[in-house]
Amino acid sequence: AMAGIGALSGNKPDNTAFTQQRLPAWQPLLSAGTALPLFFCAGLACLAVGLGLHFSSDTIRELELDYTGAPGSGHNCSRCANASLAGAGGCTCSLRFELPERFPGPVCLYYQLSNYYQNHRRYSVSRDDRQLSGDASGLSNPATECSPFRTDPRGIPIAPCGAIANSLFNDTFALYHLANGTFYPVPLDNRGISWWTDSNIKFSNPELINGSLETAFKGTTKPPNWPHAAYMLDMGNLNNTGFINEDFIVWMRTAALPTFRKLYRRVHEGNFSSGLPQGTYRLDITYNYPVLSFQGTKKVIFSTVSWMGGKNPFLGIVYLIFGSACILTGFVMLAVHIKFQKQNQMDVE
Amino acid sequence: MDYAKLYEPGQLNLLFNKHTFFICIAHGVYTSFALFFIPYGAFYNTAGEDGKHIADYQSFAVTVATSLVIVVSVQIALDTSYWTAINRFFILGSIAVYFAILFAMHSDGIFVIFPNHFPFVGNARNSLSQISVWLVILLTTVVSVMPVITFRFLKEDLNPTLTDQVRKLQKARRKQKPLQNYMRRVYRRNSRRSAYAFSHQEGFGELITSGKNITMHNSISWIENLRKKTAETVNSFSSDRTVKL
Repeated sequence: AMAGIGALSGNKPDNTAFTQQRLPAWQPLLSAGTALPLFFCAGLACLAVGLGLHFSSDTIRELELDYTGAPGSGHNCSRCANASLAGAGGCTCSLRFELPERFPGPVCLYYQLSNYYQNHRRYSVSRDDRQLSGDASGLSNPATECSPFRTDPRGIPIAPCGAIANSLFNDTFALYHLANGTFYPVPLDNRGISWWTDSNIKFSNPELINGSLETAFKGTTKPPNWPHAAYMLDMGNLNNTGFINEDFIVWMRTAALPTFRKLYRRVHEGNFSSGLPQGTYRLDITYNYPVLSFQGTKKVIFSTVSWMGGKNPFLGIVYLIFGSACILTGFVMLAVHIKFQKQNQMDVE
Repeated sequence: MDYAKLYEPGQLNLLFNKHTFFICIAHGVYTSFALFFIPYGAFYNTAGEDGKHIADYQSFAVTVATSLVIVVSVQIALDTSYWTAINRFFILGSIAVYFAILFAMHSDGIFVIFPNHFPFVGNARNSLSQISVWLVILLTTVVSVMPVITFRFLKEDLNPTLTDQVRKLQKARRKQKPLQNYMRRVYRRNSRRSAYAFSHQEGFGELITSGKNITMHNSISWIENLRKKTAETVNSFSSDRTVKL
């Protein structure tokens, strides 16, 4: 008997709060006192946020100009659209438009594409981030995901390789403002349109050889759809050519949804540093990019920005709807709770 | 074995049957719709605070993934009914570890080492510094969790399970307990009665001697009576009151 007791006490666990599961614990209960105030508070908070977002979205000014020029629409750019269908590029067309009110600066100029699936799986993996980060081995041996845009028919590697780079958007825009009967050009700033981490870390040019970028790209060729090689993207500015060209970087950041807009330029310099005044403008477009073959559309968008980004009424409206639904549900639950309590008391009595 | 009746729901397969399974599936489908379509609507054709890209594929992914982790953690927190320090550590810790790993995978250093495997460089910093992304995450969490709270509250109010009633009972008892202990101590000093009559709560005695057949409905009303009697016993200051058996 003594041996039995000894063996028993050897296996006994320690008598601490942790091993005996006596830790102090909070045991919340979902009672009427907690759930109903929670619903009303959440509803009010959502309504407040929704109103803030809605008013903020209302203050954002936006102007859309569709310049796809579908044949038969009589649009200025229909001629260019027909030309692009035939395969020719380099056509120019111009759009005259009125700005109904002053757009406070800085005004952002976007191009928008629709029915364009940058999120297509095979398309979105067709890139070589090692090559784009300036790795020399990436220039001579691009990744296999880039095929069929990995090498040209002669076997020379393509830089930058892949379908995303090959389909770079190449329309250009120039903006003019009508003042005193003549059109004055509006300065468009192409700096700082891409993420800092993209243009400084993710993308960088290969090491210059003898101070020349062209020599660094020796032994590679341009993508099939490009008019010039990568180092000629912006000849005048060494900080914006090759892989670190900001238009190229913005394009390489693939969009999530089939209708997307990408930042092209900003208007915040010179006479227009406080924004675009009301009036007549002219937009000259070099129509290079063909979209009619897949029923896509092209648009130019002028937009101001705010603390919540561009114009997007969706979030504000959903917050308002949800806040009202919360408060309504709170009242319904309160009614049900009171009615049931009364019924319960009547049953017991 | 205070509440032996609590073993019954398990034996009757009340906690996991086809009905509960389909409710689970429906809840999952609803949450999935909320997790995708709310960011979809918010990111449709939008731009960031300084005009730059936030509607790109990688930012969309980071937004949805972060919403998912937060919604799941809040759901687990709702289900946890016994919060010790360990629970707090693991639930808050898992959210913290998620953000730690997210920022580590999106950091510059690891991109330099493995550019083709970590292409999300800079993403966590850029998209999680946008206010609209956090508003989307908050909205998704609230939309996913509020219906659960509604259904749970209504179910506990209108059709409480045995577990719910016992927890309510325990909570009520714990509130009265300090008072009762104090009274008991004061009382014992003056009394000559044995400890037996006062250290026991009302047990199954009434049930067994009444010869009633226990069904779900009977047990509910029995627990209601038990609750009332306990409250009466505790509230009375009379020292000569004995608990009826």
